[in-house]
This record gives sequence, structure tokens and C-alpha cells, in this order.
Amino acid sequence: MLLKNIPMKKIVLGLSLLIFVGACSDDFVDVQPPYAINSETFFEAPEDYDNALIGAYDLLQATYANTILAEIASGDVNAGGESPTDVIGWQQVDRMIHTPINDNLRDLWNFNFAGVQRASFIIQNEDNIDFEGKAQIIAEARFLRAYFNFELSKWFGPIPIKPDGQFELGEEVSIPRASIDEVYRFIEGDLQIAIENLSVMSVEPGRVNQMTARALLGKLYLYEENFDAAATQLQEVINSGQYHLYGTQGDEDFADLFEFEGENGPESVFEVQYTGVQGAGFDCLQCSEGNVLVGFSGIRGYVGPVFESGFGFGLPRASIYEAFEENDLRRDLSILNIESWAEENGATFNIGNQDPETGHTGYYNRKYLPRMNDNQPDVNLTQPNNYRAIRYADVLLMAAEALVQGSGSDMQAQEYVNQVRERAGLDPVMSSGQALLEDIYRERRLELVGEGHTFFDLVRTGRAADEISGFTAPKNNIFPIPQEEIQFARGNWTQNPGY
Amino acid sequence: MKKYAILFFGLICFGSLEAQDRNISGQVSDALSGDPLIFANVTVEGTTQGTETDLDGKFSLSNVPGDAVLVISYLGYITQKVELTDEDFYDVKLASDAQILEDVVVIGYGAESRRNVTGAVSKIDGDFIGKLDPPNAAQALQGTAAGVNVSQQGGAPGSESNIRIRGISTNGNNSPLIILDGFQYEGGLNSINPQDIESITVLKDAQAAIYGTIASNGVILVTTKSGKRNQEAKFDYQTFYGIQETSRQLNLLNGEEYALLLNEAYTNAGQQSPIQESLNQIGEGTNWQDEVFSRAPISSHNLSVRGGTENTSYSLSGSIFNQDGIVGEEKSQFSRRTAALNLESDLRDNLNINTRLFYYSTQNNSLNDFGLGSVLFNALNMAPTIGRDVDNLRGQIDLGNEVVNPLTQIRNTFNDSRTNRLSGTAQLKYDYLPNLDLQVRMGFNSSFTQNRDFIPIFDYGPGKVFNRLEENLISQGKINDNDYTLDIFNTYKKRFADRHDVNFMAGMTVFRQFGEGLFGTSTGVPSNDIQFADIGTATGAGDDLNASSYAYDVRRLSYFGRLNYTLDEKYILSGILRRDASTRFGPNNRVGYFPSATAAWVFSDESFFPKWKNLDFMKIRGGYGIMGNDRIPDFLYLALLTGQATYASGVDNSLINGIAVGPLANPNVQWEESKKANVGMDLRMFGNKINLAVDYYRDITANLLIANLPISGIFGTAAPGASGPTINAGTVRNQGVEFELSYSDTWGSDLGVQMNLNFTSINNEVTAINGGDFLEGGQFGVGQPAPSRMEVGLPIGYFYGYKTNGIFQNLEEVRNHPSQLQLGAEAQPGDIRFMDTNGDGEITPDDRVNIGDPIPDFTMGYTLNLTLGQFDFSTVLFGSFGNDIVRNFERDQPNVNRMNYRLNRWTGEGTSTEVPRATVAPTANNIFSDFFVEDGSFVRIQNVNIGYTFPDRISDRVALNRLTVYARVDNLYTFTNYSGFDPTASTGAPIGGGIDFGFYPIPRNFIFGVKAQF
Repeated sequence: MLLKNIPMKKIVLGLSLLIFVGACSDDFVDVQPPYAINSETFFEAPEDYDNALIGAYDLLQATYANTILAEIASGDVNAGGESPTDVIGWQQVDRMIHTPINDNLRDLWNFNFAGVQRASFIIQNEDNIDFEGKAQIIAEARFLRAYFNFELSKWFGPIPIKPDGQFELGEEVSIPRASIDEVYRFIEGDLQIAIENLSVMSVEPGRVNQMTARALLGKLYLYEENFDAAATQLQEVINSGQYHLYGTQGDEDFADLFEFEGENGPESVFEVQYTGVQGAGFDCLQCSEGNVLVGFSGIRGYVGPVFESGFGFGLPRASIYEAFEENDLRRDLSILNIESWAEENGATFNIGNQDPETGHTGYYNRKYLPRMNDNQPDVNLTQPNNYRAIRYADVLLMAAEALVQGSGSDMQAQEYVNQVRERAGLDPVMSSGQALLEDIYRERRLELVGEGHTFFDLVRTGRAADEISGFTAPKNNIFPIPQEEIQFARGNWTQNPGY
Repeated sequence: MKKYAILFFGLICFGSLEAQDRNISGQVSDALSGDPLIFANVTVEGTTQGTETDLDGKFSLSNVPGDAVLVISYLGYITQKVELTDEDFYDVKLASDAQILEDVVVIGYGAESRRNVTGAVSKIDGDFIGKLDPPNAAQALQGTAAGVNVSQQGGAPGSESNIRIRGISTNGNNSPLIILDGFQYEGGLNSINPQDIESITVLKDAQAAIYGTIASNGVILVTTKSGKRNQEAKFDYQTFYGIQETSRQLNLLNGEEYALLLNEAYTNAGQQSPIQESLNQIGEGTNWQDEVFSRAPISSHNLSVRGGTENTSYSLSGSIFNQDGIVGEEKSQFSRRTAALNLESDLRDNLNINTRLFYYSTQNNSLNDFGLGSVLFNALNMAPTIGRDVDNLRGQIDLGNEVVNPLTQIRNTFNDSRTNRLSGTAQLKYDYLPNLDLQVRMGFNSSFTQNRDFIPIFDYGPGKVFNRLEENLISQGKINDNDYTLDIFNTYKKRFADRHDVNFMAGMTVFRQFGEGLFGTSTGVPSNDIQFADIGTATGAGDDLNASSYAYDVRRLSYFGRLNYTLDEKYILSGILRRDASTRFGPNNRVGYFPSATAAWVFSDESFFPKWKNLDFMKIRGGYGIMGNDRIPDFLYLALLTGQATYASGVDNSLINGIAVGPLANPNVQWEESKKANVGMDLRMFGNKINLAVDYYRDITANLLIANLPISGIFGTAAPGASGPTINAGTVRNQGVEFELSYSDTWGSDLGVQMNLNFTSINNEVTAINGGDFLEGGQFGVGQPAPSRMEVGLPIGYFYGYKTNGIFQNLEEVRNHPSQLQLGAEAQPGDIRFMDTNGDGEITPDDRVNIGDPIPDFTMGYTLNLTLGQFDFSTVLFGSFGNDIVRNFERDQPNVNRMNYRLNRWTGEGTSTEVPRATVAPTANNIFSDFFVEDGSFVRIQNVNIGYTFPDRISDRVALNRLTVYARVDNLYTFTNYSGFDPTASTGAPIGGGIDFGFYPIPRNFIFGVKAQF
């Protein structure tokens, strides 16, 4: 096979093929994902901050998990559901036999930290560029981070915090659970920056404003028992004149407070927005744009006017219904007596869980029952009722409590309490000192039933063991850190005592 | 006298002119490839004179009588007889004998004779696949190849199959690579017409390393039929028609039994009995399984024509296949049309071109197949006291929010999925120099899928999750997937000094996969009717209109080389090296190298090998190689902002969308690496009648890619659209023994037997998980913790739950046992007793242990082919032993129907030690424990086929070459103790598989068919 015997054609062909083979280089596999953005090139334009802020607000919708579990824990409300083992995590909290292995506590931890992380994403990039309106956006992000951290501290006590920005992989074994005091200072810091930079009135319904931040700060001080500081903040909100009790002005009707007419009304200091236009599924409850709390609170198998059906969780007990005075307008607006309603309106319904401790009571959380509307399926997960996170009535009662407990005026406190009582159609109280404090505690329980505050009020005032059956202080003051988190931290975090 | 002498001499001369001895020469070569046939036999017929061709295929014979007939023969070829003519040189082309070509095995970028294969390879012949004729070609691998385990994702028409080779080696995608005629095929085996398949070869060990980073799950090489040279057009027509029925129905309670147990359950909990009618009035009630199952037809037509001239061969085939569902009939159906064209030709002596074009079109309607809310799930849970025509369950007993009338569900299901796929390949083989040939191959796939799903307005009852009361919904999607492969490789083959055979192949492959999808939904379809169900006619607007899309582009560049060296045809060595670069890996780990080495020793050729009379051939082989798996989602090394950020805002609470982080990034992500070791032995005995292949394998897969790795919630992975990073974090080991034993023999021309028995043992164990102690997965019940785990020291996906120890018979037993309160409720007599496995005096979630795993300990297959005169009989059996299944189709709701084993419930001391009491009070009886884990071992008669081929005199009369009629039963019977529909039911997920949600059972088919050749 001498080379000269091979025709030129073949040599050329062979060489050109070799060149072709060598010509493909590894650049061929260097590809950018088509039509996609990644975080290295983000936060370079003002819209990026806006868009990221929407991401942080998104996690507010997942705080339905906080509300329903707080109600079930409170002792005024039964878990309910289809049977005594439906959503076992909730059932166990109702009986106060919960353990670190609890899907719903784990959801709570995960959802709220996701909110912290998304808010920190914006805050850690605050110095990338400058533009007008940046301070407002960063302030809203700080409020959101403070809100989520406050929720986490209520539920779990000491939590890991990172003021600089997002948690990075690997820090779960190094960042410790900060003490409650450090957490509170961190939240306070975020809220103070927020207060300085937020507009006084909301940019848009549902977005936070300076008063929202002050209300949360006041609440924080109240929980910390720093009563004077609490009173200062809360009275700023009251004196701003931006809010009033719904039903006391114009042609407002108190009965509409929790209806669609009453959404984003003059009583909402902070309201979490929901909508029913997008479908949702059980595989990602935190993705739902609707209020999952509402579908879960609905009456099982309900057919009748005004309301839609649901899963029958969060059932108020007779004890809370009977705690209202007969002529208290709030009673039948907060709690639905299903037997009489069904009789009056020809409605029918099913009963699920019939256990005496955790099951059917004959009452439902009327504030957050599903109303008839045209939301997308799964309709139980996409109810559009907004969650009134901080109401003016709550602010009034918190201010009253701070004044009585602190160095403030009992008379002023009494006046705030009586505003709330008057709207409820009740006579004013004349008490002061300890008696007034008892009145305030009672009003809080009646005014705020079904909204997820009662349990924490009982814990922070040391009354939980008396009011909640199965409650053991101090163990049940906070909830156990999810077992999986203890494992991930590899000894860096120890479990809450008693669990 | 002189006159006679001249006559005599003249006669002699004349005679010898005609019968004069001559010297002739010639060359013998392969009719198809033109390769010279070395050592072919050339003999003069009727004499002992003969010779063999030399290394160039040439021969010469001297003193051959002029009227001789040469007989040229060679193993694997049809013997030819050549009458001598005036010519002195004879160019003889021998055509291959298809039957003996079974000895040649496709091994990836080439083929090898069976004798020289150094790796663990199984081959299934196309004729056998054609006889089995399964709807999904993958089913032909079940029971016919050692080490291959095929399970269907339910028996619904069009369902895909899960193929696992030698155990489960990754917690990600375990599917083996499918190579169709040389190029990577992602379309799934159920889109290939089984009649078009020439052979399927399965590469199980380091032999597959030539495919580098796509080979670690094993490689399935599918070769389709091509034409035949020197053959006039031969038509093959095959048709069958059959009836399918369900292979199993579950034993449920009838109306009376249901009412009895339900009332008892309520009474035991101190509540009022829900059913007030007397049991006599209820009677049998509705048998929902009978209502939902029906007999459904299956049919197929297949026509092909094959033939060729001296230089060209062609094959053209088309098929039509239709299958209705045994549940839902035409609402659950699959139809497939295929057409295939194969054209190959020798353009020049040294240039051969082969082109193939395939077109597939499938159309599929499906029902909600498995899981909470599927049609069968509803049929199992519906109360038998409800009539079959009750569409709306208002006023009926409360069955929870998911259970609806399955017949109504079927009637209201409207969906349609169509796929059109065009694939092709063009291959050019150029023998540009002696001993060297270059192959250039180009393959492409292009598929278009469109989906349409219409959910009408309907009220199934109060609170049902399927209700659409206000608006109907139409969803449509269109997906386009494309890929192309370009291979260039060069082969050098030479024999040195008559002893050393060298075969060196080097090449490169370029692969690109890209595509996009577009989806839209709308509401407001006019008249709530499927006729108008299209986004174009729907009246939804604003927030009722939604659209989304995605696009992808993935590439791979590979270089590879393989060197085979054989010494004296006895000692065979093979080395492979492949370099892959892929877009899927982070920039730090973009390139991978995958080497492997295999060797074989033909022991029986050794001079010191004792000549046992019946042992014809013995080969010992071994190999070790490193392969990869790159089947991970794209761009995991970038923190793409694909998360969901949606809030409601403004006065009208309309949706606003923002941007958020998606899956967390891992810039170091790389392929999974599989190290496979295999030693084996091939034996042939009794005149090649008995073949035995025995293998021991040990595969270790490291750097397992664990997607959405569970990490602390503080990183925000619970946010919508976010998830944990994908990290290379685990190692799993599969090892075991495999053997394939086959026996074939013929007695005369009338009786032939062929049997094959294969056996595989699998020992699967997770050996490392970095960054954690275990991973969880799977689903059991509603709101319960994950039942499956991947944990060091145990098989992947094992079931983690409580161990039970009978039933509490009385209060004393309850008191003597640790409290079970932590599991949900205090125990009562009649409840399940859970074991305190860690001995700490409490029953807590820490008492959960390994209660089974879905991976079989060993599998076996048996096939038998018997020909007796004009009859042929064949059967395939498959068995799996040691696999466990979780029974997860019993809804934990007070009023649903139950299986009739519940009739053996505890009703008082000593009445039952297995089934707990019937009650609606809170109990811990329904948490995940070994009460729900069953032994899924089974033996299935997969196929029984009897055929009759009409004698030639009859088929000639109708102008047919061959006419066969046959009858076949698929899935005749499954021997198993499992109480569910099908012991092979599984999603195929590595963690979370083996859990039965009420899968659509495999149908039993009764088929009658006709095959004609003309």
C-alpha cells in the first residue's frame, strides 16, 4: 500500500474528515439556558427590585398555616376535619400531645423562613444600584422580614437569624439559634429602618405603610413587656387618624367587616391579599393564591345560601360562643351556629370528626367561612377572603393593655376599650387597674376569636395552663423545632426543652 | 487401423476437451459487504477434491474436470453451487444465512461474533419478538433476558414501561439508554412497532462503556429489519384481533357486608348507625368493579415488503394498532400508526449507504389512572349501597371529598394526546483503504405532541374536589422535541502473522437535544360541550386566560476509542475509552473520562483443555469499566430565577407576577459514576445444543445525584417554585449472580424444541449518603410521613414503618404494653399492637424500622418454543421473588367500602389476631406499618401461543408462500399472594416505588391472528 498508489481524491477526503473531527470543540457544549434569568445578573434595574418584592409578599399567603394552627392550639377551637386522625399534626396540637415529628409545624417553619429568605434576597442587594423609590422598596422588604421573624419567634422561641442577608448553604451547622432578646432586637432594627423610610399611607391596597410597621413594633414591645414603648408606637397609629373601627362611620355596616365589602377597609392596618382566579392543588399549598385557611374552615358538605362548603377544621367550641353576652353583636358575626342557621335557611350539611375533644361542636368560624364566589378549582384551596392580620380594633386593645400595664393613663385605656365595646353594641366598662386588665383580656378573646391571636395572648400573659386543657407550662409555651431541622443542624441547634 | 486410432484419439481429444482437466481460480466474498470470506470451503461435488480460500478469499484448484460443479460453503452463509463454464476465474458471492447470523451480536458502533464478545450481553431475536407481539416492545424483554426487569406503569393502553437492568442503581432516572439503529432514541419503546425489530441486544456491564456518560443504567440496542439482497420482493402480512379483560378483580365487601361492618364501626365508637335499612333490602348492592371493567378489543395490522438486488436492498413496512381500555373503553385507548422505510445500497464497491426513515403517529385518550381520585380508586371505595346511576352524591352517605361515582368520572373525562414523530438516519460506510473503513452517521428525531384536556362543569356532590360549579376548563399544550446525532468513526481491522487480530475503532459523536413547549388554559367553553372545547372558541378572558412555556437546549460532545486484540482467536482483549462533555454539568466538571477493559479466554481451544466429549466450547470472560449517567435536569449549576412570585394587589385583587429564585444552584454538579465489574463464563455443550452463560456482577454507582436534597427550611426551599439543590451525594451497590441456559434441538424435520431459562439475583444496598443520614420519598395515606427511605446499609427505597405484633385481645394486654398515644390515640382491645423495637418503653416514631423493600431478591424467566409438524407452541413465564408491595388503595375514611378481609375483624377476645376492630373512633390502626406491606412475589404466565402453519400444498393454492394462523393468550394467569390488582404495580420511582395506589391492572388478552407471506 504505497502512498503513491492511493488516488489524490481519497487522501483529500481522509484529511478533510480528520479536520472536521478536530474542528468540534468543547465550546459546542457551552450554552446559556434559553430565555432564562439567573441571580448573578439580577438587581441591575429598578424593576428587578419591584419584582423581587412581589416574591417576598408572596409568602404572606402561606401564613394561613400560622392562623389555623394558632386557633386550634388556643383551647377555644377544635381541630375538626373528617375524622380524629385527619391532618394528624393539627389533631395532636389540639390535644397538646404534639412532638417534633409534625408535618404542619414543619410547614410553618419552612414557609416563614422562606419569607425571611426572599426578603433578605432584596435587602442584601440594596447597594447594587440607586434609583428613586429604592428606599421605600427596601423598607417594605425589611417590614416583611421582621413580620416573618416575629411569627417564627412566637412559635419556636429562639431562631437562627442573619442580618447581613440570605442564609448560605452550610450555615445551618454554624449559625446558632439566637436568644429571644437578640431576635427581638433584630426585628426591632428592621422595623425602625422601615418606619423611617415607609410612606405614611399605603402605595396600594395591601402594601405596608409606616403605620403598619409601627403597629407591628408596638406589638413586639407588648410581647416583650416593654409597655411604654409599646404604648408610644400604638398611639402613633391611633392618632394618625388613618384608621377607624369599621361600622362607625358613613354607611358602613359592622356585619360587612369580614365580607368582601369590608376588604382593605379603614380597619385594616395590615391585610394579606388573596384571590380566587388561579387554580391550586394539594401538592403545593403554599403556592395557592387563595386563602387555604378559608376552605379548610368551611362547613363539610354544606348546601345552602351565602356560604360554600369546606373541610370543617377550626371549629369554635361552645365555651367561646357562650362567653359572649347575648346582645353582643360580635357573637353571631364571629361564630356561626350551624343548627339554627340550617333551620332558618333550609341548608344541609355533613358532620365529620365526631370526637368529643376535637370534633364537631355545632359552630364554625364565620369570619373566615367560604362565601359564595366563582373561584378556580380546587375551590377549597382558592378562596379569595383576605386575612386581616392587624386590625385597628387589635391596635386599640393592645394600646389599652400597654397603657394599663405601663405608666400610661388608665382612663385613656378605658376609652379605647369602650370604643371596641360600643361598636359591638355593649355598654362601656368603668374599671381600672387589674379589673380593667381582665376586661381587656376578655375583650381580646371575644373580639379576635378565629384570627389566630388568642393562643399567644394566653402564653405571654401566663394564663395558658389555666385555659387550655392538656397545656403544660413552660414546655408548651413554644412549639418543638421540627425533627428534620435538628438533624440538618448536626448538633448545632438543640431541641426546645421538654420535647 | 490408423483410421480407428485417429477416431479413438479424436474421441479422446474431443472427450477431454469437454471433460478436460483445468486449472481454475476464483474469489469468494460476502454478497452484502463484499468482504472476502477467509477459509471458505471450495470442493468439487461428488469428489474429495477441494481447498479453502486464503486470506484474500481467493482459491485455486488444478485438474478440475471441465463439467465439475463447485460447492462453495462457509459458516453463516448459504452454500452455493457453481457450474464450471469457459471462465477460468470465478467471483463467487455468498449470501448470509439469516438463521446462523444469530451468532453476530451488535455491540455499539459495530458488531461482533458471539464467540468474541467479552462482555455480558443478552440478545433477543426479532422473530421471537414478532411472535410475542406485545403492544409495547419493552414487554418482550420481560423473562427473556437475564438481569432485565420490566414493569408497566399500570396496564392502561399506551402506558410506558419501567426497564431496570441489574437492579436500581440511581435514585434518579433508572431507564437504560435506548439506541435505535445507532442513534440515541428518547421516544420510548412503546412507539416502535415490534414487527419492525430485527433484534434487541442488552449491554449490561462494562461493554456498554463505549457510550460513556449515558451508559450507566445499561444500554438497549434495537436494530430494525432491513431488506435482503438478491431476493425478490417478499410480502409479509400479519393481523390479529383480540379481546382484553381484567386479569384480576379484588375481593370487596358487597352491599350487605358493607352495611353490617359500617354499622358495627359506628356502634363501636358510640355513635349512631348510619344505615337504617335492613340488610335484606340492601342485598348485593352495586358491584362497582363489574360496572367499571369491561371487555375491550385490541387489534393490529402489519404489512411489510422486503427484498433486494445484488447491490441494493429495501424494506418497507407499515402498521396499524388499536387498543381500547378495559376501564373506560374508548375513553382510555391507544392507537399507533407506523411506517418505516429502509434502503441500503452499495454505491460503489467500497461505498455503502444505508438510510432509514420512520414515521410514528400515536393517539391516546387516558383516564385518571392511579392515585387518590383515580377511576379504580373510586370503584374500590364507593359504597355498594349507592346505585350505579347516581351521578351526584348529594344526600348519600358521606364518602369524603375525593370519592365520586367512577362511571360519572369516566363520562366526564375528555382528553386527547397525539404525537407525531419523524425519525431518520443516514449512514455512509466507506472502505477507503484495505483494512480501514470510515462510517459517518446522521440521525435525527423530531416529534410534535399536542394535548387537549377539557373539564366540564359538573357537580359530583357536596364538597367534592372534582366539582366545577361555575366554569369549565380547557387546557391545551403543544410540545416540540428535536434531537440530532452525528457520528463519525473509523475502524481498522487487520490480521498480523496469521495470529494477531487487531480491531481499532476511534470516533466522535455530537448530540444535541432541543425543543419547546407552549401551554394555555381558558374557561367558558360554549355549551359546556367537548365539541367546542378549544381555547379559540372559549369565552374566558382576563385572569381566566393563562399561558406558559418552556424551552431547552442540551448538547453533548464525545470522543471514543475501542481497541480489540485477539491472539490465536483464543485470547481476546478489549479496551475502551470515552470522553464526554455535556451541557448538563457545571463548568467545573464539564468533561468526564470513562475507561473500561474487558477480556476473554476461549478456554476450550487450549491444548491442555481436557476433551470432554460433550463440551464444545468454553469461554471465560471478565471486565471492569466506568460509565456515567447524565440524566439530570438542565442548568443545575446556575441559580435560575424560575421560582414563582405571585401576589394579589390593587383594588380588584388582580394577580401580579414577580421574580424569585428557583432551585438552589450547585456549581459543582457532575454526572453519576458507575463502576461495573463482571466475570462470566460461556459454555456450549452437546453439539451446541446447550448454551450456558453464567455471570457474577458487582456494580457500584457513586456521586448519585440527589435532586431537591432535603436541607434546612431556613434556605427558603419551601417557597413556591423553589427547591433544594441537586447534589452528588450518594453511593449504591448492586451485586448478584445471573445465568442464561438455553437448549435447542431438532429431531428430524418435524420436531424442534428451544428452551431458555434465565435467572438473576439482586442484592441492592446503599453504601453512602453524604450530607445526611437518609432521604425520604413516596406517599402513603393522607397527611402521613413519607414511607420510603434511602439509607446506608439498606436497599434503596426500603419501607420504613412500624412493626406489628398481632391484636390486643383484652384490656390487660393493653395495660402491659407501652402506651401508643404518640401514634395518634390510646390503644383499645381490638387495635393493632405495635412493637417497641428500640426497647425504650414507649411507642414513638423512633420505633419505625425496615419493614420491606420493593426490589426483588431474584427474578427468573422461562421461554419455550416447540415445533411439531405444522404446529408451533410457545410460552413465556416470568417470576419475581422477594419484592414487597405497599397496599395503599384503601382510603382512610369511615364510610368507604373495604376489602373483604375486613370481615375477619376482631369482635371480642380471641376472634382475630390479624384484622383490627371496625370503628370510626380515632385509632392508630391506619398508620403505615407492616399491616400494609405484602409480599409481592409472583410467577406470571406471560404468554401462551399456539400456531398452525398450513402445509405448502394448501398455501400454494391461495398463491401464498406461507400461511399461519395462531391463537395467543397474554397474561394468562399470575400466581401471587398479593391482594391488589397487580404485583408489578409501581411508579418505578427509586425512592417511593412499590407502592400501589390502585394501579390499572394488566389486561388478559385472548388473541387470534393470521400471518401470510407472499
